[in-house]
Parts: sequence; C-alpha cells; structure tokens
Amino acid sequence: MSDAPSHGPVKSIMPSWVRGPQDFVGGIALMAIALFALWASSDLQGMHGFSFGAGTAPRMFAVLLLLLGAGVALMGILVEGAHLAQYHWRGPLFVTLAILSFAFTIRPLGLVISAMASFLISAMGTPETKWKETIIVGICLTIGCSLLFPYALGLPLQLFPRFLVQ
Amino acid sequence: MADLFSNLALGFGVAFTPINLLLCLIGALVGTLVGVLPGIGTIATVAMLLPITFGLPPVGALIMLAGIYYGAQYGGSTTSILVNIPGEATSVVTTLDGFQMAKQGRAGPALAIAAIGSFFAGCVATVLIAVLGAPLTKLALAFGPAEYFSLMVLGLIFAVVLAKGSVLKAIAMIVFGLLLSMVGSDIETGASRMAFNIPELADGLGFATVAMGVFGFAEIIRNLDAGAEMDRDLVQQKITGLMPTKKDLIDSAPAILRGTVLGSILGILPGGGAVIASFAAYTFEKKIAKDPSRFGRGAIEGVAAPESANNAAAQTSFIPLLTLGIPPNAVMALMVGAMTIHGIVPGPQVMQKQPELVWGMIASMWIGNLMLIIINLPLVGIWVRLLRVPYRLMFPSIVIFCAIGIYSINNAPVDVILAGAFGLLGYWLIKHDFEPAPLLLGMVLGPLMEENLRRALLISRGDWTVFLTRPLSAGLMATAAFLLVLALLPSLRKKRDEVFVESES
Repeated sequence: MSDAPSHGPVKSIMPSWVRGPQDFVGGIALMAIALFALWASSDLQGMHGFSFGAGTAPRMFAVLLLLLGAGVALMGILVEGAHLAQYHWRGPLFVTLAILSFAFTIRPLGLVISAMASFLISAMGTPETKWKETIIVGICLTIGCSLLFPYALGLPLQLFPRFLVQ
Repeated sequence: MADLFSNLALGFGVAFTPINLLLCLIGALVGTLVGVLPGIGTIATVAMLLPITFGLPPVGALIMLAGIYYGAQYGGSTTSILVNIPGEATSVVTTLDGFQMAKQGRAGPALAIAAIGSFFAGCVATVLIAVLGAPLTKLALAFGPAEYFSLMVLGLIFAVVLAKGSVLKAIAMIVFGLLLSMVGSDIETGASRMAFNIPELADGLGFATVAMGVFGFAEIIRNLDAGAEMDRDLVQQKITGLMPTKKDLIDSAPAILRGTVLGSILGILPGGGAVIASFAAYTFEKKIAKDPSRFGRGAIEGVAAPESANNAAAQTSFIPLLTLGIPPNAVMALMVGAMTIHGIVPGPQVMQKQPELVWGMIASMWIGNLMLIIINLPLVGIWVRLLRVPYRLMFPSIVIFCAIGIYSINNAPVDVILAGAFGLLGYWLIKHDFEPAPLLLGMVLGPLMEENLRRALLISRGDWTVFLTRPLSAGLMATAAFLLVLALLPSLRKKRDEVFVESES
C-alpha cells in the first residue's frame, strides 16, 4: 500500500516552510488516494436526471477526501506539528511476508505446513526470538489449529498438501 | 409493562437452554482472555471468531459474540489494576488509580469494586435495552430515507467529536472509510466500481478483512516497533483480601451510579462507545470530587466510575443496532456482519419478526455478567500468569490466528493478502496520527448512507433541501452542525484534549 519507506532523520528532507511534516505528508497521501479513486471511478455513470448513477457517490466521496486531504496538508504547512515518525523495517517486513506466505500456501500445501511456515517467518519480526522455544510453540500451535478449525469448528480447511491427499 | 416482562421471560427462556448458556460462558471467557492480553483488541477478536460462528444457530452466535464484547471490558480492568497495562483501550483510565491501589496492597478491593461496578452497570444496561427497545423500534418506523441519512451524519459527527486528536483528520478518516466502502458492485445498477476486475473485489472489501488489517495486523507491527519485550512490572505480592471495606463500598457506590448513567447515555449515541465512556466518567468524577488531588493516588472512585461506564456503554451500544439497524461502532458493525451471515437484516423488523433472537441475546447479557463476576475473581491468578507469556511468542500466534480467521470467512486467499495490505495501511495511519476507528465506522455506514441518500433524493425528485424541510431530519442535521461547531470552538477543544491527556500523564 502507500507505506512510505523508512527514512532516517527526516528533518533535512522536508523544506523549511513545512512546519508539521507528519500532517503535510499525511494530507498529500490522502489527496493521492482521492485522485486515484477519482481516476478509478471515472468510467462509471454519473447523475441522470435527479437519480444517482453508479459513479456519483464514489466521486462525491473522492472529491470530499481530496478537499479534506488538502486541508490536512495545509495544516501541516501552517501549524507547528510533529515530525515524521520513524519507520522500522523488520516488524512490517516479516509480518507481511508471513501473511503473504500463508495466503499463497494455504490452498496448495494445506494448513499444517502453511501455518507452521508463517509462524516461523513472522517470528523473525523481532530480534528477541529464541528459536528453540519458538519452534516448540509453533508445533503446538499448529497441532492446536489443526484440531480446532477443521474438526472442532467444522471449517472446510485442508490439512495436508493437495498432492499427498489425492 | 406487561409486554416488557413477557419479552424478558421469552428471552430468559431462550438464554437458559444449556447450549446457549455454554456459548455465553465461552464468549465471556474468550472476551476476558482478550481483554487481559494487550496487543489484541476486541475488534480483531470478533472479526477472527466470525467464521467460528458459522456453524452455530443465529441466537447462539450472537450470544457468544456479545459475550466477547462485554467480557473484554472485565478482562481489561484486571490487567490495568494488577500490572498497569490496559488490555483494552477502554481500561486505560483504570490504570491511573487502579494500579496505585494495587501498589498500596489493595489490589483485591480494586478488583472487587471493578467487578461489582461492571456487574451493576451491566444489569442496568440490560434493563435499559429491554425498556427502550420497543419504543425506539416504533420511532424507527417513522424514519424515512432522509431521516436515516441525517441520523448517520449525526452519528459520524459524534464519532469525530469523541475521537482523539484533530477534528479535521478524523473527518478525513471517515470520508476515506466511505470511499473504501464504495468498492464493489453498485447496489442499484450492479455496475462494478473500482474493483479493477479482481473477482474477489466484486462484492466489495470485506469489513472483517479491513478491521483485521488496521486493528489486528497494524497493532502487531506497531508493537514490534517498540520491541517485543514489553515492560511488565508485575505486582509481585499475593492478592490478599478480596473484600472491599465498608468505607470502600460507601465511597464507590455513588461513583458506580454516575458511571453507569454516563456510560449508558454515551453508549446509545451513535459514534460513542465504551472507550469514550470510561474517559468521560473518570474526568467527571475528578471534577466533582471534593479533593481532586486524591485521583491518581489510588482513589477508589477512579476505578469504580470508569469500569461501570465502559461496561454500561458496551451494552447500550446494542440499542441503535437492534432498533434502527445502525451500528454505532466498529464492534457493532461486525455484529451486523454476523447477523447478515445468518440471513438476519438488523433493524426494526428483527424485534418484531424474531423476538426470541433479540430478547434471548438481551437476557444472555445479564446471565453473562453474572457469570463474569463469579468466574473472574477466582480466576485472577490465571489471567495474571497468562501475562507472563512473552510477546515474542504471542505475536506470531496472533498472526496465524488472524490469517486463518480471514481465510475461512470466504475461503479466499486474496482476503488474507488484502488484510495484510490494510495492516500496512493501518501502520502508516498510526505513524501519521490518523485514528483508524472513524475509518471503520465510515466504511460500515457508507453503503447505508449512499442507499438512503439516493432514495431520499429520488423521493424528493432531486431536491436537496429535503434533509432540512422534514422536521425530524432537520433536527438531526441541526444537532450535527451544532456539535461540529462546538468541537471546533477553542474552549471546548481544550477541554476535549484534557479528557484524553489524562491517560498520558
């Protein structure tokens, strides 16, 4: 998504007339989202007579967001505000990777492998992970989930890789 | 009156079946667990457990989900008092005096008063729902599309006024949410809107998916920033003497009463809810106290009032959902999701067509509160031990649970990816000091608002003044405008900031 990359001491990047970089960047990003939505809904039908078309409400909200984003950005220029917060890469990266790995492996490989792999990947999100206990907990959790979701709750989840089951 | 009793009798009849009692207990226990554990909130849990309720009968599903919601209010107070970590946003102010009491060796009375206050508030709120339900349903029948639209505008403005931080940013978040809700098929023409030919987007962004992203995943990522090893300054000494003294009871009784009243009112208002209720109750107690300096040093009123208020508000927020079909906050929005899954459209019709559902749930709330007070105090030791589970082991587990939860709603891997994307978006929002709660509310109300706006304008033949010429609608709009002006006035803004500063000082 619109996740800004981590930049170190940010003060130097922003021109001096921006007094609240946090709001300024936030407002600009909202405006970008609004413009994107305007573009994405541009092919939809507008008002005909006094009844709404499919595109009326989306464009209405997009224009509103554009104005509000501009307002927030303006506040960032006029009012003394917070600096950009520091972004960390480790947590977001590994948690995202874990989510993606789960999404891509759950269908072909089944719950057992998928859950265990994602558990280990997301555990890399912090330097404090101790691997021995993490692996033990991971195994317990995988067993627990395999019993809870498909059996106790009756959800249609495949446990093992597709090529083994067939 | 006779109606009220027959309704409640029907409700207790439904709630007292063994299966519903069990589900109520499970809900309350899971809620307490979630409330105790910091780093996983009510919204993410309810979203996570939605698929679990697929196989249950509708009444049972709602009873369990409701149990999670008010159970979390109890659990949150336990950790606030014992370890100075609010498990839930609703218990933030409880840490101020609760933890001080614990330090003075009075953890027992603090816990007991919190539980008693919550129970009392829960009882009052249950009766209130039962009493207000029927008349409000009648009022709802007088509502046309214009009134519904105006009411939702009022609700969103409430959410803005009650949200923390900049009013402008909160409105921007609401509109962002409204915009997100537009993704998917248009209700009337069926045209695909902003879906980019992705089949999974044809039905729109799932509310649970977005909620899990911005509240579940984003929260985890943010917690990791601070380092997984959270400061857990446990109260080491054993908790002795649960019973509060007579003086404690006398001191806290009026505070419980005031907290309950304040919480009930704030819960009913659309956009309100348990978080703001606890803040408001604490501030109010401090304002009217003879000696405000006692607060923050272990004043028992500082525990009693916010804990009663958050529990009352958690329950009365069911009123707008059940009577008008409008979810006043994000958790209630998920309840709408749960109802829709079972083919129930929330609103005035539910009360009339499926009374056993509504009254069964209301009765279960009272039973659930009773269970909580009985199970919670003896279980305090277990809950505290749970806190010793290090976050480095907890967060990967939460990631997996969330992922499985989202996947099983539609059996769609794309939903999991979307939730991940919204997790990053939520992280970015937090970094820029945007509140995610108004975004969710906007997203929930978006389709309802569009539909009613369209209908109102169609009926009035394109005349936009319809919102101001119909008396009920005009009244609602005027209230909304008045509130917005109030929120922007410098004097009130300062007060509003004060309320939230309490938690940080």
